Amino acid sequence: MRRFGRRRSPDALTCREAAKVLQAYLDGELDEIGARRVSAHLEVCRKCGLDLEVYTVIKAALGRRSVGDDDLAVRRLRSFADDLAAGRVAAADWPLDSGA
Amino acid sequence: LVAVDNQAEPADASLRFTAVVMPELEVLLRVARTMVSRPADAEDLVQDTMVRALQSIDTFDGARPRGWLLTIMRNAHINRNRRRRPSLLDDPAVVAEMATPPADAYVEEMFDAAIEVALGRLSERHRAVVELVDIARLSYADAAIVLGVPVGTVMSRLSRARKEIRTLLDTAGYQLPGSQR
Repeated sequence: MRRFGRRRSPDALTCREAAKVLQAYLDGELDEIGARRVSAHLEVCRKCGLDLEVYTVIKAALGRRSVGDDDLAVRRLRSFADDLAAGRVAAADWPLDSGA
Repeated sequence: LVAVDNQAEPADASLRFTAVVMPELEVLLRVARTMVSRPADAEDLVQDTMVRALQSIDTFDGARPRGWLLTIMRNAHINRNRRRRPSLLDDPAVVAEMATPPADAYVEEMFDAAIEVALGRLSERHRAVVELVDIARLSYADAAIVLGVPVGTVMSRLSRARKEIRTLLDTAGYQLPGSQR
């Protein structure tokens, strides 16, 4: 008997499968094939697309908290690294906490 | 292939140290800030990490410098035994403020403030993974090194943590894409 409706390709992800890897997809942590399968699912699934949008908004807001790296602190650390490398600060004498 | 010489010239060690450490300083500082509460402590932690790195540069095989440095920093942090306590996030007044979202809930500043409060409500484990991946911008593999857990654990904790943030924002009345409101 012929069935009506869209036929899923054997490769196509279900929403449940897509949900499991959606955040790894967002973080760019999926391999190429995995990412392609999620992209294909997102093209046809509004619900998962909205989920991705939510997590993208949340990730972007969290990412904004890291804006404003302290340039002065980085410069101080670079200078310290230079001093260490040049022997102006002796690593052997540096007061590391116990248990090193 | 050149054999590793444990008695390498100090100048060689210095050059290797510089080549390995310098490109990772920003990342180390960002990660350190997720581990300790005060900026000065974060700098101290990075300094300790650098000292330890220089002391053991001769034994470093050159593979994955970031992972190597993060491992050193994690151990240094454990030794320092300092824990992060973000004071702003523990302030009940700030938490209470979140209960009343502004009329235009997408005003970026207010949304970011709500995100910060939501972050403060997460468990220590969940907050740590979010801070490492979303704020310090580490890969899952590097976050796993810092936390001392498998990559799969990073993935599942991160997923639960973000879902929790989403629920907290929903509960507080922030309209997210696809919200049923």
